[in-house]
Amino acid sequence: MPILPLLIVSFVLAIFFVPHFFSVYNLKNYLLQSADLLIISCGLTFVVLNGGIDFSVTSILALGSVVGAYIMALSPLAGQPTLSIPIAILAMMSIGVLVGLLNGLSVVKLKMPSFVATLATQLIVLGLAVQFASMVSESSSITGLPEAFFVLGGEGEYFLVPILIAFSIWLISNWLLNRTIFGKRVFAIGVNPKASFISGIPVKKTIIMLMVISGLLAGIASIIATARNQVGMASLGDQMFLTTIASVIVGGTSTSGGFGGVNKTLLGVLFITLLNNTMNLLGVGWYTIMIVLGVLVVVSAMSSYVLNHRKRVS
Amino acid sequence: MSDIVLNIRNVRKSFTGVQVLHGLNFDLKKGEVLGLIGENGAGKSTLMNIIGGVLPMDSGSMELAGEPYAPRSPLVATEMGIAFIHQELNLFTNLTVAENLFIDCFPKNRVGAIDRKKMRRLSEVCMDRFSLPVTPDTKVRSLPTGIRQMVEISKGLMKNARIMIFDEPTTSLSRREKEDLFKTIDDLKDKGISIIYISHILEDVFRLCDRITVLRDGRIIETKATTEFSESELIKCMVGREMTQVFPSIEKEIQDTVLLDAKNIRCADKVKGVSLSLKAGEIVGLYGLMGAGRTDLAKVLFGVQPMDEGEVTLHSRKHSHLNPEVCIKQDVAFITEDRHHEGLLMTKSIDENLSLVKMSRLSNRIGVVDVKEKEKHNLKAIKDLKIKVSDYRHQLANSLSGGNQQKVVFGKWVMNDPKIFILDEPTRGVDVGAKFEIYSIIIDLAKSGSAVLFISSEIEELIGTCDRILVMKDGRVTGDIPKSEYDREKILQLALLGK
Repeated sequence: MPILPLLIVSFVLAIFFVPHFFSVYNLKNYLLQSADLLIISCGLTFVVLNGGIDFSVTSILALGSVVGAYIMALSPLAGQPTLSIPIAILAMMSIGVLVGLLNGLSVVKLKMPSFVATLATQLIVLGLAVQFASMVSESSSITGLPEAFFVLGGEGEYFLVPILIAFSIWLISNWLLNRTIFGKRVFAIGVNPKASFISGIPVKKTIIMLMVISGLLAGIASIIATARNQVGMASLGDQMFLTTIASVIVGGTSTSGGFGGVNKTLLGVLFITLLNNTMNLLGVGWYTIMIVLGVLVVVSAMSSYVLNHRKRVS
Repeated sequence: MSDIVLNIRNVRKSFTGVQVLHGLNFDLKKGEVLGLIGENGAGKSTLMNIIGGVLPMDSGSMELAGEPYAPRSPLVATEMGIAFIHQELNLFTNLTVAENLFIDCFPKNRVGAIDRKKMRRLSEVCMDRFSLPVTPDTKVRSLPTGIRQMVEISKGLMKNARIMIFDEPTTSLSRREKEDLFKTIDDLKDKGISIIYISHILEDVFRLCDRITVLRDGRIIETKATTEFSESELIKCMVGREMTQVFPSIEKEIQDTVLLDAKNIRCADKVKGVSLSLKAGEIVGLYGLMGAGRTDLAKVLFGVQPMDEGEVTLHSRKHSHLNPEVCIKQDVAFITEDRHHEGLLMTKSIDENLSLVKMSRLSNRIGVVDVKEKEKHNLKAIKDLKIKVSDYRHQLANSLSGGNQQKVVFGKWVMNDPKIFILDEPTRGVDVGAKFEIYSIIIDLAKSGSAVLFISSEIEELIGTCDRILVMKDGRVTGDIPKSEYDREKILQLALLGK
């Protein structure tokens, strides 16, 4: 699907037909919403390029959010933001790395399909997040986070902070995929794991590494999302999985592996967020948005199939 | 003429310009067992696939019981009474015997659901008739190979097969199962069913067949009654292949350094204790028929398959566990017989394919690939190997001809400067001109001091390029023939009979 023209046309249409869309407040909001989605989608792109899937990313977001918020707002460290904020950030990223490592090991050592392995960790990690939140707090959300932490969420004049973080992560991902041997390996394994193995590519190590990257980026996304929402909640990632997978697929990364990249995912993220944002402004409910996203995923997956098929025939 | 069931006249077939069958004439009589023998690549499978409706013929005609016959699909062939018992049985191991028997004609009840009672009843009748020692509800998974084969045969009989084609049916059977199969085949014969029996096992062919047809280079060389053939005469017919291919001559020298030394390699029941060694500058041929264990040996030597026993010495370092990464570090290269699935990333560019192996040596400590260096090496490989490409950065591997694809595979290894080459059927699916170029590449490699193990099904190309030839049969090396004693009949005899 030609996603760039579609994005431009939709953007122009939104300027003319969606009230309040073209305001400084909303455009800021649009970019901020894109930031954490971009980070988490970059991670997922690695896995999809390799021919896998990672269902656990949004549950990492959830667990990261409640654990981080607990450290900053409720733990014995809560009074010292200079100490609690870095520790919380470290903890959130570590959760991502650990879950990613677990996913990678289950795929490589237990020979589980990534679909099964990450579905299992998704359920476990999300369950843990809800349990943890209910243990440490009476309500399902943890508030009272230190003011300084909100900088990471783009509070007030700092609105560029999360956007720059997301953009740098996108740049690094791009560099990893296109300039380094690791990236070349991800693409090669995505097309043909057997030929890659025979060519001396450490297939298992590469798979573990990209699962860890996917987890780490989900952990970083959880920092940004928690700071932006100014609250630690297990339900923070609830609506995000669909938008993440839609961003990657609508962006144009092939679900069968080997083709695509984070440059495509960036466009996917901007398009999906635009859709979300404008439909919100138009008062369209989440369930309707879900239907639209679902149809979009099918259409873009189909169009890439049809296009590939035609190329092969001709 | 009334006893001729199948009559084939002037059948031709070519694949991408390469003629595989050159106008075959062939008949099959009612109630006879006809043995079909020939080297790998003689055209047996192609001929059988044409009869079985898997492939269309380019020209010629076939008659089945006097009627014109040109099956458009395997289904049509089955309906016309032709049953093809493949070497890899075509059964669904996750289903029951009854379900397998009725897989394409499930009895249905009024609402369209499968009528299980009727299916079971019909299966029981069928099992009685063909004396199958199983119950309808047994899962095929739990049956031994011999019984599975009988299920497959019964499936054919249920369709009132007139002709049954057996392709290497005994390779995975025990001695007793084999005897049972032969008894079954005799019974089939008595029922008036005609049988085409393809096998490399001459002993079985002599024991079973009424007539034997020898196929070579897509032509029928001889058809005679079994009693009129002797073993040595049969082998002579099989190897009479013309030496049309020209081989490059390049002066080279074999050095004394042993680069690869394998001792007593075992792997499952495919490789049963093989020892071999390769010296610098030496090209060692490895000949064997289908199922001799050549490819398995190659995969063990490159660590793609784990070895159960034995050890491999590479550059005087001993290894009892290998994997491709270790082998590549020890300067080994492996060209697989299956270019499409194991050799190339078909949907990726030539550029990406070429740099696949060399990549780790082209990147710095943090893993950044040196693009300029990569480009330099890629261009050098394209030039050295004369790979015909228009735009190597964007052209996909699957857009190349077979010969150029194979050169890309060579390129990705040669770029890495290995010293030991394991080549499994490197000229498969390659036209004559490209074959010559590949031989030149191989001999050049040896000249520059590499050791080469050249696995092939074509005796001629081994004779034309190798310094000595090893012959394998049933997972063992049955012969090591020096250049001065090359004799095609002797090589084939070692591969067929092991002596």
